[in-house]
Amino acid sequence: MSTDACILLVEDNPDDVILTLRAFKKAHVANPIHVVSDGEEALAHLFAEASKDPPRLPAVILLDLNLPKVDGLTVLRRLRADERTRRLPVVVLTSSREERDIIGSYDLGANSFVRKPVDFDQFVDAARQLGLYWLVLNEPPPEVP
Amino acid sequence: MSDTVLVVDDSLTVRMDLVEAFEAAGFRATPCSTASEARAAFAGGGASVVVLDVLLPDGDGVELLGELRASPLGASVAVLMLSSEAEVKDRVRGLRMGADDYVGKPYDTGYVVAKARELVRARQAAGSPRPRTVLVIDDSVTFREVLREALEGAGYAVLVANDGEEGLRLAAAQRPDGVVVDGVLPGIDGASVIRHIRLDVALRDVPCVLLTGTEDGGAELRALDAGADAFVRKEEDIDAILARIGAALRRGAGAAAKEASSAHGPKKILAVDDSPTYLSELASVLRAERYEVVLARDGEEALELLAVEHVDCILLDRLMPGLGGQETCRRIKSAPIVRDVPLIMLTGMDDRGAMLDGLGAGADDYIAKSSEFEVLKARVRAQIRRKQFEDENRRIREELLKKEMEASEARAAHQLAAMRAGLVEELERKNRELEAFSYSVSHDLRAPLRGIDGLSKAILEDYGDALDERGHDYLRRVRGGAQRMAEIIDDLLQLAHVSGLELQRGSVDLSRRAREVFAELQRREPGRRVELLVADGLVVEADDRLMTIVLENLLGNAWKFTGKRAEARIELAAGEIEGETVYRVRDNGAGFDMAYVDRLFRSFQRLHSEADFPGTGIGLATVHRIIDRHGGRVWAEGTLDAGATISFSLGRKAGNAR
Repeated sequence: MSTDACILLVEDNPDDVILTLRAFKKAHVANPIHVVSDGEEALAHLFAEASKDPPRLPAVILLDLNLPKVDGLTVLRRLRADERTRRLPVVVLTSSREERDIIGSYDLGANSFVRKPVDFDQFVDAARQLGLYWLVLNEPPPEVP
Repeated sequence: MSDTVLVVDDSLTVRMDLVEAFEAAGFRATPCSTASEARAAFAGGGASVVVLDVLLPDGDGVELLGELRASPLGASVAVLMLSSEAEVKDRVRGLRMGADDYVGKPYDTGYVVAKARELVRARQAAGSPRPRTVLVIDDSVTFREVLREALEGAGYAVLVANDGEEGLRLAAAQRPDGVVVDGVLPGIDGASVIRHIRLDVALRDVPCVLLTGTEDGGAELRALDAGADAFVRKEEDIDAILARIGAALRRGAGAAAKEASSAHGPKKILAVDDSPTYLSELASVLRAERYEVVLARDGEEALELLAVEHVDCILLDRLMPGLGGQETCRRIKSAPIVRDVPLIMLTGMDDRGAMLDGLGAGADDYIAKSSEFEVLKARVRAQIRRKQFEDENRRIREELLKKEMEASEARAAHQLAAMRAGLVEELERKNRELEAFSYSVSHDLRAPLRGIDGLSKAILEDYGDALDERGHDYLRRVRGGAQRMAEIIDDLLQLAHVSGLELQRGSVDLSRRAREVFAELQRREPGRRVELLVADGLVVEADDRLMTIVLENLLGNAWKFTGKRAEARIELAAGEIEGETVYRVRDNGAGFDMAYVDRLFRSFQRLHSEADFPGTGIGLATVHRIIDRHGGRVWAEGTLDAGATISFSLGRKAGNAR
C-alpha cells in the first residue's frame, strides 16, 4: 500500500476534524486526508470519484454517525447498495457506544466500529492503530472493472 | 323440511286420528301398531317425535322408551307417552324413563300436535344432534389448522377462511353458529369483519370471538368496540381458547332457546280430588276447553307427579284423606320450582273460614265445588293468563336487567381497556423519551469534552514554551476535568441502562467472572501487586451482563481503595445467613467510617477525596440497583483504614453456592 492512499473523513464537528487530523499526524500517518462535513457531500464526493477513469476511491472512510442532512448509517447503506463502493472499507468513528449504533453499523456492512475517546492520548493511540491496520496491513479490495 | 313423527299405538282409530292430525299440521307421520314395527321404523332414522302408547300388543311402551333413550339416535328424540292408564304411578314411571310429556286418553288431538311441535322447536333451538359449525378466519395456516383440529376434536364442524372477505362470504352462505376471527388479517382486519357481521340482519346474533396475537391493550378495546363477544390471545393454551369459544357459543344458543318457548302453547292442568266422579266430570269439561288434564286422587300423588311433570295450573280439593288440601297446598307453595304454578283451591262448602285458610296456605284462588263449571273455567283461564303475564313481565324485567348488566359490564371492560391502553402508551412514550435522552447524552455531551481535552493537549504541545509552570498546571487541570466528566457521563449512562434492561436470568459463574474482571484490572495497572482470593464454583441464577457490572464495580473499588497498601488483598467468598446465600467482596484497603454507611449506595455520594481516590460516586448506586432488580439485598461494613466488605444476596431462589 503506497503512502499516498487517501483517507476520507466524514465529520461535521470542526473541533473533531482538527483533533482527528492532529491525532493522525501525531500517530505519523502521513496519507492525505480528505474532509467532508455532511453525508450528502460524502456521497457526492465518493460517487464522483468512483466514476472517474480510473476510479479514485479512498483506502478507507472514517464515518461519523451524527451528520447533518444524510446521517452516517444512511451513507453506509447507500455505499453498500452501489456496485462501485460496496467493498470500500468503512470505519465508523463516533462518540456513541449505544448498542443500536454498533449493531446498526455492522448490520449495514461497516468494517469496524471505533468509539472516539475523550482523552486525546487515547485518541492518538486509536488513530495510530487505525492507520496501521487500514493503510498498511489490510489488503484492499480489487478494483471494480 | 318437515319433521317426521312415529305414531305408535295398537288402536287403529288412534293411529288414523293422529296421523291425519299431524299430516294436516305439516308433519310426516308414520303409523306403527306394535313395538317391533316401531323399533324398525325408528332404526330407519329421521324421526324427530315419537307418540308412544304404553300398552302395546308385543310389549310395554315405557320399556321401549328406555330402549330408545339408550340408543344414539333416541337420546335426543322428543317422546310423548299416550296412555289410558290414569294411574299417577304410570305417569311418573314414564316421565322418569325420559318421556317429554305424558298425555292421558282420551286425549285432545290439538294438544298432542301442538305439544309435539313445541318439543321439536325446543330441541332445534338447543341444537343437540346437529354438530355446531364454527367459522375460523385466519391467514396463518399453522394456527388455523391447530384450531381446526381442536374444534373438530371437541365435536364442532369447522369452516375456514383465509381472509376477511372470504370469511364474510362464507358466513353469509353457511350461517355458522359462531365465528372466530384473527385480529390481524390481510385486507379488512378482524375488528372490521365483526363490525360487518353485526350490521347484517341475518348474522348479527352470531357469537364472534376475536383472536389477538399481541399483549396490545388496544386490541381488546377495538374488539369490544367492534362488538366481539369475547377475545382470546393466541398465545393462550389451546384448551383455554376452546373454552372461551365454547362459552361464547353457548351464550348465543341460550338466547335462541328462550325465544322458542311460547307463552301461547298447549296448557296442562293437574286436578286433585278424592272423588273419581267429580274428577272425571271436571276432566271432560276442561278437555272440552282443549286443556290436557292430569288427574291425581290425593295430595301425595299430586306431589309425586309435580316432581316430574310440569303443569300450568293446579286444581286442589281442600278436603281429602291423607295429606289433605291445606297441607298439600302449603308444600306446593314452598317448593321452589312449582310454587309459581297457579293453584285454585276447591271445596264442597261455601265456607268463609275455609276460604281464608286456603288462601292462607298460599292458594292463588278459591272456588266452591257447587259453583257452575263456567265459573270454574273462567277462573282457570284467568289464573293461567295471570301467570302468563307475570312470566312475560318477569322475562322482560330479566331481559332488561341482563341488557343493563351487559351494557355496564361492557362499559367497565371498555374503560379498563382504554385505561390499560393509555398506560401502556404512556409508558412506551416515557421509555422512548428516556432512550432518546440517554442517546443524546451519549453523543452530544461527549463531543465538546473531546474538544476541551484534545485542544488543551494541543496548546500544551504546540505552545508549551509560551506558558509558565502555572499555565501548564491549569491546562492539565482542564484536561483532568474533561476526562472526569466523561467518566461521569459513562457511569450515568450505565446506571440508566441498568434500570432499563430486561432481566435475563441464567446461570452465572461469579468465580470465573471475578477472575476475568481482576485480570482486566491487572492489565490496566500491571505495576500493582494485589492478591486475589476467589472461592470456586460460586454459581448463581442471575443476569450475566448485570452481574459482571456488579463485579466490575465491587472489584474495581477494592482495587482502587487498596492502592496504598503494600500487601493488597481482595477476597470473594460466599456464606449462609438465615437460609440465604450471601456473597462478600472484602478488601484490606482504606475502608470507611461506619457513620457514613447510609450514604454509600446513593448516587454521587463519595466518602473519599478525589485526590486520595478518584471516582464518580455512581458505582455502588449501580450495584444497588442491579441487586435490587434481582430481588436481593446489598450492604456494606467497614472500618476506617482497615478495609471494607460489601455483601449481597440475590433472593432466596437465586443463590446456589457449592
